[in-house]
Amino acid sequence: MSQILHIFYKDARRFWGEIFLSVAITAAFAWFYPNTWIGPDHIHGAMGSHSVASYNLQIMGGFLLALVPVSWWLLIVRVVHAETLVGDRQFWLTRPYEWPKLLAAKLLFLLAFLYLPIFIAQCALLAEAGFKPFSFIPGLLFNLLLLTIVLVLPILAVATVTSNFARMTLTLLGVFVGIIALGAVVQRLMPNHFTAIAGASYTTQGAFTLAFCVCAAVVVLQYALRRVWLARALLYGIPALLILASPFAERIQSHHPRIDVNYPVAANPPVQLAFHPLSPSYQTYETWPDTGEVLIHTPLQGTGVAAGTVLVPDAVKLEVEAPNGVHWVSDWQGTAMPKFFAGSQDGDAVVSIPRDRYEQLKSMPLTMHLSVAFSEARETRVTRMPLPSEDFSVSGFGVCSPLAGFLSPFTQATGLLCRSALRDPPLTYIGVVWSDAPCDAPHPEPDQGVQGAAWVGSLDRAPADLDISSVQQVHFTLSNSIYERSNVPRHLCPGSPVTFTEYERVSRTQTSVTIHDFHLPGVKVSDGQTHVFTTTTTTTEAPKQK
Amino acid sequence: MNSAILTQSLSKTFGQTLAVDRLGLAVPEGAIYALVGANGAGKTTVIKLLMNIFRPTAGSAQVLGIDSRSLAGKAFNRIGYVSENQDMPEWMTVGALLDYYRAFYPTWDRALEQQLVRQFDLPLQRKLKNLSRGMKMKAAFASSLAYRPPLIVLDEPFSGLDPLVRDELIEGLIERAPETTIFLSSHDLAEIESFSSHIGYLEQGRLLFSEEMSVLSDRFREVTVTLSVPAPLPASLPPTWLQAQTVDCVVRFVHSAHNDSTAAEIAQFFPSARDISLDPMPLRSIFLAVAKAGRLRAPSQHNQPAVKGTAA
Repeated sequence: MSQILHIFYKDARRFWGEIFLSVAITAAFAWFYPNTWIGPDHIHGAMGSHSVASYNLQIMGGFLLALVPVSWWLLIVRVVHAETLVGDRQFWLTRPYEWPKLLAAKLLFLLAFLYLPIFIAQCALLAEAGFKPFSFIPGLLFNLLLLTIVLVLPILAVATVTSNFARMTLTLLGVFVGIIALGAVVQRLMPNHFTAIAGASYTTQGAFTLAFCVCAAVVVLQYALRRVWLARALLYGIPALLILASPFAERIQSHHPRIDVNYPVAANPPVQLAFHPLSPSYQTYETWPDTGEVLIHTPLQGTGVAAGTVLVPDAVKLEVEAPNGVHWVSDWQGTAMPKFFAGSQDGDAVVSIPRDRYEQLKSMPLTMHLSVAFSEARETRVTRMPLPSEDFSVSGFGVCSPLAGFLSPFTQATGLLCRSALRDPPLTYIGVVWSDAPCDAPHPEPDQGVQGAAWVGSLDRAPADLDISSVQQVHFTLSNSIYERSNVPRHLCPGSPVTFTEYERVSRTQTSVTIHDFHLPGVKVSDGQTHVFTTTTTTTEAPKQK
Repeated sequence: MNSAILTQSLSKTFGQTLAVDRLGLAVPEGAIYALVGANGAGKTTVIKLLMNIFRPTAGSAQVLGIDSRSLAGKAFNRIGYVSENQDMPEWMTVGALLDYYRAFYPTWDRALEQQLVRQFDLPLQRKLKNLSRGMKMKAAFASSLAYRPPLIVLDEPFSGLDPLVRDELIEGLIERAPETTIFLSSHDLAEIESFSSHIGYLEQGRLLFSEEMSVLSDRFREVTVTLSVPAPLPASLPPTWLQAQTVDCVVRFVHSAHNDSTAAEIAQFFPSARDISLDPMPLRSIFLAVAKAGRLRAPSQHNQPAVKGTAA
């Protein structure tokens, strides 16, 4: 222990300038970053001096957010290179340094001057945002773990295989260029450019785990044995292979029976799906010539969802049978279908099909079996309240503020701005009642106004998301926010009802619909490089609650 | 006598370059062993192999009874290492350097440290980066002697230093000699000769000889043969005769295997010899003779011993 502290004190004395700089940047980040939460209301009224200053503070907050990891980079590189592991002239090689203690001293240094300051800064941000930091200790620690995996450990690993700051910088530049080059190669090898294959997140998690293991192994290998070339080969070679292998990994993933296992076929389907041939989207079709694939839009109507339940489509799969015996089954593919809840909703199931297969099938009446994998979620908490005029806390969700728009007077809210601690909020349906008239003008009672709504959050939540800030802005747009007649924003008046309905996954299931005599629509080549999915994203109808 | 350093067929290659070739070396405890050789002979590589800075390609080395590949951590409590090209924590003052190192060594002798500081006239408050090369070496010496290591390893410690500093360092070293083994590499032969007890000669990674200094001095003689009449050199001379040349009636060469019968041996080759003188040689002359003889050897002969020695 004494050797650990001895080396630690030496490094602390040596790098007091770097420490001061890094801690100062972290402190400034904690001080300025809350300015970025204000949203566009800082520009209410004319662009006066106050609003310009406020805008500058926002810029400063964002700039400091980017500067924090740069200061970490400086700190990590300097402290590792104080006893560099590359070369044969270092003073410490022939001194009684014990490598576990040397490594421990470096980690202690990072704990004291990197982790502790950012931990305190994150606590301060949570407090500033209206959260109680001590309620989020596990999440804060998880966030630090994510930052370690994605930022600290890779920098540490590269520092252990380089001898000085200049080489480290060049190496990082090389790695950056390498990733771009490999990314370009991978783009060429990808089986499908724009249809996310369901379950790919497992591959991503595996890649992250492997990257973490490689970086950790490199650090330990270098401190224990100083095998520079072996460590470099591991550090650069395995991620490169990983990137190059990713298209094949995704292809393998898509054939994996995980979806069928995790999403069993429901005996009593939670939703009845039916083909909706009268939907205008039946006639829409898109393609992206480069990929050699065609997207089939199949409009569906969902009914029969129980009150208090919402079904979130996670993946779709298409099985096609042609009269001539041709049989084709797609992979499970990611989907952006809208959610289904009590009532009746329409949504397109979009499935990618190879162009040559399309050409083979397009002129025949087909039998299509369309399977949709759902997450079934039930409401767990409903918070109703009259809209406060200032910040308000929603239990389990976060802290929200009435948001004034660009053209609105300061006192006229035209939306909500919410913040959550450390991660996305749980899947939540937000319902409001708009007022067409300004709040200070005579207007109908709030409960007679236009409904506005938004879905936010997710069902899959880790204890924390990867972010240097511990407070996340929850981005959403409430539907019907524009008054169509005059094309001006509607208003949320103080006292109008606001509802937050929180959902939690209760099961995963799959259901299917069979469509007979289906004719594939003709292909229309899109006229540019852009490709638009025509899916319904706004929700004006509130889910029926239990 | 036990060996402080013992190597067996120690080899090191860098790519296609053979830097150390099957080195067999034994440094007795208590010896002051000088490893000499021309630039690029492999001296520094040998030392870095011994200190586990490099890993051997083949063979093995024992340092104070420890396999060199395991030499790390606490094992360096017993080894003092100073190299002419070792990086130092230049941002530290001399005093801070000594303070820093002191905590690593349980055997650090504070009194000896102060004595060395006085002896080397070290400025404790000055940063290493502001010191002259000589002062840096003194600081390195002080920080490597103050814990009384049983083995001191020095890589070209006197290279580029002025004579005054050299004398001071050698003096400091000699004071430690009774309690330690010193292994140093150098091509500064004049200083080596004054205090080394053993010497090894390295050429292109190969150890050509390794023996006690007194034996070496006894073995080499500068021979001058005065003939009655001018005569060419015999076609075949013994391989232990180096750099043989003749001018008129005088033949000169270096005899690398001198013994009591040397004069008789020479007389057999030169029956008309009027006078044969056998003069002891300084180390520098021996070194030069061996080095030149080595360079004159054809590559095909390179693997054959040119000089009789007692390489371990």
